[in-house]
Amino acid sequence: MSPATLSFIVRRLAQVIPVVFAIATMNFVLVHLAPGDAADILAGMAGHATPEFVAQLRREFGLDLPLYQQFFIYMGKLLRFDLGFSYIQQTPVLNLILDRLPATVILMVSAIILAMTLGIVAGVTAAMRYGSWVDAVISVGALIVYATPVFWLGLMLIVLFAIKLGILPSGGMIEIGSGKSGLAYVLDVVWHLILPASSLALFYVAVYARLMRSSMLEIYTFDFIMTARAKGLPERTVAWSHAARNALLPVVTLAGVQLGHLLGGSILVETVFGWPGLGRLVFDALLQRDLNLLLGILFISSVVVVFANLLVDLLYGFLDPRIVHK
Amino acid sequence: MKSCSSKLLHICTLLLAASLATAQAAEPKKGGTLTYTFHPEPSALSTLATTAVPVALVSSMIFDSLLEYQGAELTPKPGLAESWTISEDQKTYTFKLRPGVKWHDGQPLTSADVKFSVEKAVKPFHSRGKVYFGTLEAVETPDTQTVVFKLKKPVPYFMRSFQPNETPIVPKHVLEKANLSDKKTLRQSDFMQKPIGTGPFRLKEWKKGSHVILERNPDYWKPGRPYLDQIVLRVIPDGVGRAIALENGEVDLAPMNAIPLAEIGRLAKLPKIVKSTEGTEGLGPIMWLEVNLRQKPLADARVRQAMSMALDRNKIVDVVWFGQGKPATGPIVSSNPVYYNKALKPFEYNPDKANKLLDEAGYPRGANGVRFKLTQNFLPYGDSWVRLSEYIKQELGKVGIEVETQSLDLGGWLKRIYTSWDYDFTSNFTHNYSDPSIGVQRAFISSNIRKGASFTNSMDYRNPRIDQLFEAASVEMDPQKRKVLFDEAQQILHDEQPVIFLMEIAYTHLWNQRVHGLIQNGISMYSGWDAVWVD
Repeated sequence: MSPATLSFIVRRLAQVIPVVFAIATMNFVLVHLAPGDAADILAGMAGHATPEFVAQLRREFGLDLPLYQQFFIYMGKLLRFDLGFSYIQQTPVLNLILDRLPATVILMVSAIILAMTLGIVAGVTAAMRYGSWVDAVISVGALIVYATPVFWLGLMLIVLFAIKLGILPSGGMIEIGSGKSGLAYVLDVVWHLILPASSLALFYVAVYARLMRSSMLEIYTFDFIMTARAKGLPERTVAWSHAARNALLPVVTLAGVQLGHLLGGSILVETVFGWPGLGRLVFDALLQRDLNLLLGILFISSVVVVFANLLVDLLYGFLDPRIVHK
Repeated sequence: MKSCSSKLLHICTLLLAASLATAQAAEPKKGGTLTYTFHPEPSALSTLATTAVPVALVSSMIFDSLLEYQGAELTPKPGLAESWTISEDQKTYTFKLRPGVKWHDGQPLTSADVKFSVEKAVKPFHSRGKVYFGTLEAVETPDTQTVVFKLKKPVPYFMRSFQPNETPIVPKHVLEKANLSDKKTLRQSDFMQKPIGTGPFRLKEWKKGSHVILERNPDYWKPGRPYLDQIVLRVIPDGVGRAIALENGEVDLAPMNAIPLAEIGRLAKLPKIVKSTEGTEGLGPIMWLEVNLRQKPLADARVRQAMSMALDRNKIVDVVWFGQGKPATGPIVSSNPVYYNKALKPFEYNPDKANKLLDEAGYPRGANGVRFKLTQNFLPYGDSWVRLSEYIKQELGKVGIEVETQSLDLGGWLKRIYTSWDYDFTSNFTHNYSDPSIGVQRAFISSNIRKGASFTNSMDYRNPRIDQLFEAASVEMDPQKRKVLFDEAQQILHDEQPVIFLMEIAYTHLWNQRVHGLIQNGISMYSGWDAVWVD
């Protein structure tokens, strides 16, 4: 790694700190704007709560303190990587998140790999056959998938593959109680992953395919492509080795930026498929006004997105050696 | 003649075979797994944390109480206590514990556990602990198998207290290690996640966000029970997803309206699916419009009666609730076998009369046809409640009441209705529970106008006669005399409509026909499921 790259990484990491701090502050303010709190919800669920019971809960959770004090306590804890306690789920927030994070990572990574692979292949193919019926089919198909709501798509896939054909499970991550381990367990997870990962990926396949196509068409107008063709290189080599690598930059950029968006999409997919990940946890935390949990997930996911973008910046240099980190 | 008798014989043989086959089918089978689905996921596995439905469903299989109950009317029968005596003055209850009962960790159950459970766990922590044991003077344990409850005054529903979810018996040797003087400790203790009870099933695995697995308690005190090897709770957050899983056979049971109302009709038609609304009589869910009586037009009973007449309850049941329920007449649900006042009829749907009443009350229509404006909130429990709010807005509009609908999430809703009291009217639903003194009285007596307490008298309804009647009924031990008191209270509440009684919600359970033995009593979904078996 060159010293320039190293100093770039250090500088970018230093920038991350105020960004994360600003995010944490904004999250805190936003979730405290809504009326009602976890004590109200817990007391409501209890069904017969007295005012003393609610006051006791509020004292327990520190909700009786002025907001600025709650804020300082929260920030103080955050500096010590203490995300607090979920009073609705009765468990430390960090445990809850770490419990669920692997499932979401599996889902998101599979979806990204699937989306990138299919999207890039479709985009390059469409660009290579610009103006042909293949291009038309890919472009129109992408437009249709792009406009399809992800939860509806998920349900339709369930109806087709789980109910009508009966070849894939309708939800969950494993066959519960089957006691599988080792390879059998991995295959079981993959089996359960097919529908949710496809549902989540399809939208992005469309996005990447369209972007890749237009990016390729732009690159095709450059002189070096003409040179490559003039050298007599086969069209496939021109497309994949010369044009595609350059055309990838906007796709990679978008993938980094869209990571937060992908997490949003996984909330819907995880809900439809009962996939036990972070998305589901956000959904429940939102409904149950589980402030600590909500803040914890928002915090962790924003940190992940910030770091993913850092990674994308570094990837630029790899994809296009002309980009130098100063 | 010969051929005739031979035919007869043939038919008889067939009939005999059929009846034998039925008898065979009805013979419980041991083993197998029952998978049920519900959402949200339980937050804990003991009702000491919260009595929310998802928690109550699981915890009733893990914990026992002193008694079990028979029939819709919940007649007490032996549970952890094999016998009991009640003193003449009905202030001393002596329970003899069943010998040889073991906790899931192998320790023996003793009277000290029962004393600990009531005094240190249920009374201080359970949301209804003080309702049941508020008048408790002492719990004595003369020996390891005897528990004596001494009450300051008789409590007519005391024998209803010992349901697994209302007074779960918890292990002293596990819980006393937690410092319970600090109220946080119990809620945050490991026990809420990894409970130890004496119930028919014990916790095997809880994978948060995915499932809970309970396995057969091999030391369970009922010989030969439970029948099932395992019970699995699959958490499926999406309603349609739950319906599909049931249709697919991936889950066997969707209890207590776990399936969206719109899907119930379709699923119930499938040959392999059984639908039932039985087995929750002891909960008695009821839906009403809670009305804030502090404001002027709503303080007038005639206005509330007019609103009541402007709403067609049959339409609410059939269209809004997809037929899952029946019109309500008053505060006590008709499935209550003893105390429901049969003389009451639902308010008739009569917009003309409603218009007349509003005119009489001094609220004539203005130039634009509007008499006055109200804001409505609705219970944020999903689509049905939104649809209900739309129907109400439309119908009240027809009699000149302009309604603006305001949407809040649960936290905001609870705060607005029970803490700020800042609303005109809202849809709401509560439970009667096993006795009107537990579940009905709380919403109507004036001493329960308490800021910040949920599911209380948020309306500011004050009627000294109602206070008297409920007060007297809460200590009257003669069921006949109690009925007279409750009958009068129901009549008054029906006439005055401090809340507009709309509908008795049905808890609909759907299950695969391979499941048997679910409906045993009025709290079937909260009753341990040791009698449940699968083909």
